[in-house]
Amino acid sequence: MNRISAHPILGNIEKGQKVTFFMDGKLMEGYEGEPIAVALKASGVMIHRYTQKNHEPRGIFCAIGRCTDCVMIVDGVPNIRTCITPLVSGMMIQTQYGVTALEATE
Amino acid sequence: MKRYDLIVVGAGPSGLSAAIEAAKCGLSVAVFDENAKPGGQLFKQIHKFFGSKEHQAKIRGYKIGETLLLEADAAGVEVFLNATVSGMYMDKEILVRIGDAMEHFKADAIIIATGASENMVTFDGWTLPGVIGAGAAQTMMNLYGIQPGKRVLMLGSGNVGLVVSFQLMQAGCEVVALVDAAPRIGGYGVHASKIARCGVPFYLSHTITKAEGPDCVTGVEISQVDDHFTPILGTQKHFDVDTICMAVGLSPMSQLLKMAGCSMIDDPRRGGQVPLVDENGETSIPGIFAAGDVSGIEEASSAMIEGRMSGLSAAAYLGFLSEKDKDSSLNELEVALNSLHQGMFAPGSKGKAFTKTDEGIAVSPSLLKKGYLDESDISRFNRFDKKSGVHPIIECTQNIPCNPCQDACPKECIKIGKTITALPRIDEDNTCTGCGMCVASCSGQAIFLVDEDYEPGYASITLPYEFLPLPQKGDLGTALSRNGQPLGTAEIIAVRSAKAFDHTTLVTMKVPVAQAMTARFYKCEAPRAE
Repeated sequence: MNRISAHPILGNIEKGQKVTFFMDGKLMEGYEGEPIAVALKASGVMIHRYTQKNHEPRGIFCAIGRCTDCVMIVDGVPNIRTCITPLVSGMMIQTQYGVTALEATE
Repeated sequence: MKRYDLIVVGAGPSGLSAAIEAAKCGLSVAVFDENAKPGGQLFKQIHKFFGSKEHQAKIRGYKIGETLLLEADAAGVEVFLNATVSGMYMDKEILVRIGDAMEHFKADAIIIATGASENMVTFDGWTLPGVIGAGAAQTMMNLYGIQPGKRVLMLGSGNVGLVVSFQLMQAGCEVVALVDAAPRIGGYGVHASKIARCGVPFYLSHTITKAEGPDCVTGVEISQVDDHFTPILGTQKHFDVDTICMAVGLSPMSQLLKMAGCSMIDDPRRGGQVPLVDENGETSIPGIFAAGDVSGIEEASSAMIEGRMSGLSAAAYLGFLSEKDKDSSLNELEVALNSLHQGMFAPGSKGKAFTKTDEGIAVSPSLLKKGYLDESDISRFNRFDKKSGVHPIIECTQNIPCNPCQDACPKECIKIGKTITALPRIDEDNTCTGCGMCVASCSGQAIFLVDEDYEPGYASITLPYEFLPLPQKGDLGTALSRNGQPLGTAEIIAVRSAKAFDHTTLVTMKVPVAQAMTARFYKCEAPRAE
């Protein structure tokens, strides 16, 4: 478990309501309002997308919406910065291949 | 198109400070920020700030952020969030993306306080998931309560790398090593010592040569570098890690100023491309000001002062403040800013190697190379005749702008004087009562209370502790040296928490008297039987 349950300075970090969402069709849990990337990280997801040309994995890098490394397909829309987009119950999150919402073609 | 007297771009420490000052002078002020929450990076800063009282020293960054938000609200500042300013045009007009719409706003003066973005370095595998910026680590653990990784290697020994390494340990992560290509530690020695005493090794003159892993980080390879920062073959070392964290400097986000046609200069000492500004932050275009990191990388304390200065200057520029009132307010702020700009870490001293302190004491080479003071260094900095009973040992050996210890001692045992970069001295005429206020107030966690006469053969050492779980009275654990090496069994004889200590717990341990000047940390586990 990588969620910090008690912190020496911050105490208990307040969270929203526990909700479920889908990651590539798999049911996962997170807290409403936290960044999608945080919910994914709590479930052990490291790879957010694969690059267009070389099919290289990418994940969280800056976590403040600047670098766009963590973009994914959210509810059918590609290139969503998951580190600054709040999680909503029932969201459909997908690994992004390339720069569109199309399935990867071999 | 909506109009204001003043538009501020950026709701970080500098932008908010500017907006507050201007609004207090009667200006209508709008602040735009691309983030969902105001405060910039302040809410990720969970350590106690340096400086003096007027700089809000010994207050943790996120608390300073809370105060700024309340002040901005009270002053009537309008804050637009999720609002990205993407253009700045003639006659102080800006273009802002809010949601899916582009909107125009106009003002009579503009303050740009957009801050900075993180630098990175590239190496084999640097794009692998698991390689992150230090800011990302802070965001994940301090805002969202999630560990960035279990085992982390930190690249960069400036204050950001040092502070974030400590925060990673506070979040329960293991920091396996701190690496920097420079030959000496870049940040404050006191920050380095906090992590060195937890056992984190420093690798100076080293850099990352490879991030390892098939599809995310599983390890890292570092190599020693020569005088030209080229990796030396055959010096590779491997660490199993799941996260590599980069803290390799910041660059001003000055694009809007450039776009508006402000005169820019390339100044490596200020972090890159910065606007030419006068002493009040006004750029080459009248009525456009820059404040905070965007006009030169420093830290939040000076950014807040610069923000206030530019806010007042903008108010005077628009006739809301008389020149006389402006000058008197600015003079005061300049004094406060100058006091931060003294000493070994002053903006003008970047990259300089000091061999002596302002007091003429030889600096500790061990502190600069390994992150901790050598035992032989201590006596140079704590010169007093040993009196019986409890007394402070102050392991603060660099001229950094900080003086809360002086105000903290109710018995006035600790003297710094007016120059806040001076090293603290102990006044032997006054008697320490062991209250511990100095220990808790030291933002660098560099003050210890030592009593060599605690019991025959045993000394007591009181140290600042900011980890969980907290030790309990009666616990047996391990005393650690300044470099985190186990010295033997220590017994906890007191654990003190108080509101005034602000989450710094004072832990007192009993150790053999021979360890009075070597034991500086405590590990909850008992020493392993050899």
